[in-house]
Amino acid sequence: MNATGTNQARPQGLLNARNTLLVGIGNNSRADDGLGWAFLDALENWPDFEGDIEYRYQLQVEDAALIANYDSVVFIDAYQGALPEGFRWEVCQPAARFEFSTHALSPGSVLFLCQDLYQASPAAFTLAVAGDEWGLKEGLSVRAQANLQHALHSFRELIT
Amino acid sequence: MTRKITIDPVTRVEGHGKVTVHLDSEGQVQDAFFHIVEFRGFERFVQGRPYWEAPVLVQRLCGICPVSHHLAAAKAIDQIVGVDPDDLSPTATKLRRLLHYGQILQSHALHFFYLASPDLLFGFDAPPEQRNVAAVAVEHKELARKGILMRKFGQEIIKAIAGKKIHGIAAVPGGVHKTFTPEERAYFQQENDTPSVDTIIQWARETVEFIKGYHNKNYQWLDTFARYPSGHLGLVGPNGELELYHGRLRAIDSLGNKTLNDIPNDAYIKYFTEGVAKWSYMKFPYLKHLGRKDGWNRVGPLARLNVCDSIPSRFAQQEWEEFRGYTNGKPNNCTMHSHWARLIELLHCAEMIKSLLADDSILGNDLLREGTRRPEGIGIMEAPRGTLIHHYQVDEKGMITKCNLIVSTTHNNEPMNQAVRWVAQNVLNKQPKITEAMLNEVEVAIRAYDPCLSCATHAMGKMPLHIALYDHQDNLLDECYRD
Repeated sequence: MNATGTNQARPQGLLNARNTLLVGIGNNSRADDGLGWAFLDALENWPDFEGDIEYRYQLQVEDAALIANYDSVVFIDAYQGALPEGFRWEVCQPAARFEFSTHALSPGSVLFLCQDLYQASPAAFTLAVAGDEWGLKEGLSVRAQANLQHALHSFRELIT
Repeated sequence: MTRKITIDPVTRVEGHGKVTVHLDSEGQVQDAFFHIVEFRGFERFVQGRPYWEAPVLVQRLCGICPVSHHLAAAKAIDQIVGVDPDDLSPTATKLRRLLHYGQILQSHALHFFYLASPDLLFGFDAPPEQRNVAAVAVEHKELARKGILMRKFGQEIIKAIAGKKIHGIAAVPGGVHKTFTPEERAYFQQENDTPSVDTIIQWARETVEFIKGYHNKNYQWLDTFARYPSGHLGLVGPNGELELYHGRLRAIDSLGNKTLNDIPNDAYIKYFTEGVAKWSYMKFPYLKHLGRKDGWNRVGPLARLNVCDSIPSRFAQQEWEEFRGYTNGKPNNCTMHSHWARLIELLHCAEMIKSLLADDSILGNDLLREGTRRPEGIGIMEAPRGTLIHHYQVDEKGMITKCNLIVSTTHNNEPMNQAVRWVAQNVLNKQPKITEAMLNEVEVAIRAYDPCLSCATHAMGKMPLHIALYDHQDNLLDECYRD
């Protein structure tokens, strides 16, 4: 997010629906941690999106090889905290310096591995959607559902 | 003054854990604990759900080994629908085994290439920014690519059988969900964007040679680091051979004496119980007849290679003989040899996958069997990290009334605490300053067990390393964070 709290990193013009990969990260048994998957579920019957989708509990090393096949990639994940619009687009930068805790890779580290091992540089973005509840429960909280709709609306504007 | 050093969370393990080391005013280690601070509550979550949902629901326990939970639950639910393991169709049993070997192969590959290898390749003293997969990718590209492709091979096996790499449906009560096609079989037997099974076997053999070569150069610390006597637990087949999918439970003590003599799965409740500690949410399983002090066991690759009498695959058997020969046939209690054992198992899984792919009966369409409903089912198997137990009871409507899960990392709770105490007493003791390398040695000891603490929830940017010092009254003396 930039200093003004707006979503200026929207990937306008970069999402080629035919060669775009959406990666939903999360776990739908953990309430709002399922936001990434719920985003993909919502696109399932939406004909305007012709790209590919992948569900992930965590990003892993082989995802570096996967995203090397695409022109653009969006990582959609739940966000713990408040966001002004309920969601946030960010340009994903390759993270040469990995986080100290590496059991689950960040989008940036996957992008780094993609560039380093496969010499590919897809345009990559993260779409964080704010959630409230993280316990063992199926279904999204009311606020998360609203935030999800806002995020979907933003995404659809970019595609259509 | 007593100081407490906290490492929170432990890095490169699945889920959140915390290590505290308690020092007295002389810098002597008083004690050390490995805390599991996240309460999962999954057993209660499953209660009240229909039994047929269990194999799907439990996949969400873990982002790394959902297949293991899926299959263990399926084995238990088979019994609830009246189908014992021997009554499954040969096709269903073999497809489940194929799925299981694919799961263990990809999990072991992930652990070795991306979690353990940074410590081995760069050493304890390397700075944190070098001890990770990024540095492996930069400095050992070929190794990194092979690791990715070996993991991908296992993931593609899972996808072929379960329909998806993640939250797919492979096993259903009494069998499997879908057939395996000749085209799918051919994909794994030939070179594609994924290596053939023959290539995977070759790479697995090379990786075992790598670890043996590394061992020859570094045996002094590998043989002694976090070494302690313990019991070992695992499944074995009818002839005492290594068995990962279905077998009898065998345990031995640190000298090799059998403490659990090949008991059937449904007898586990008679022999096992679980202790608790107020400082950890994770329980401490042990053998009742030996008591809590002596009845705990290591599980996982090291334990499995200790309890079995042979390995039913050619190259892995050869490697197992060398592995066992290293300790003159006695149980191997060297924590760091877990990596060697894990790679022998990876080779075994690759060989078993090749064998199953060559078996035409995996292409059959006899997928499901039926029986008479029962109120209880127990599924036990060897997950990548060790013995995994799923136990369910259902009411007359088929709703789950009781669920008991003893996961691999729970068995390894006491072993990991033992490893942490060893490091604390042998590395941290009387040191004037706690260095980054010392702290990493605590983590290396834990990582050897490849623990999976509770990884199935996360969100962006919530995994810092927190180190804190406390005095004897739990006043915070110092702390630091690393993102």
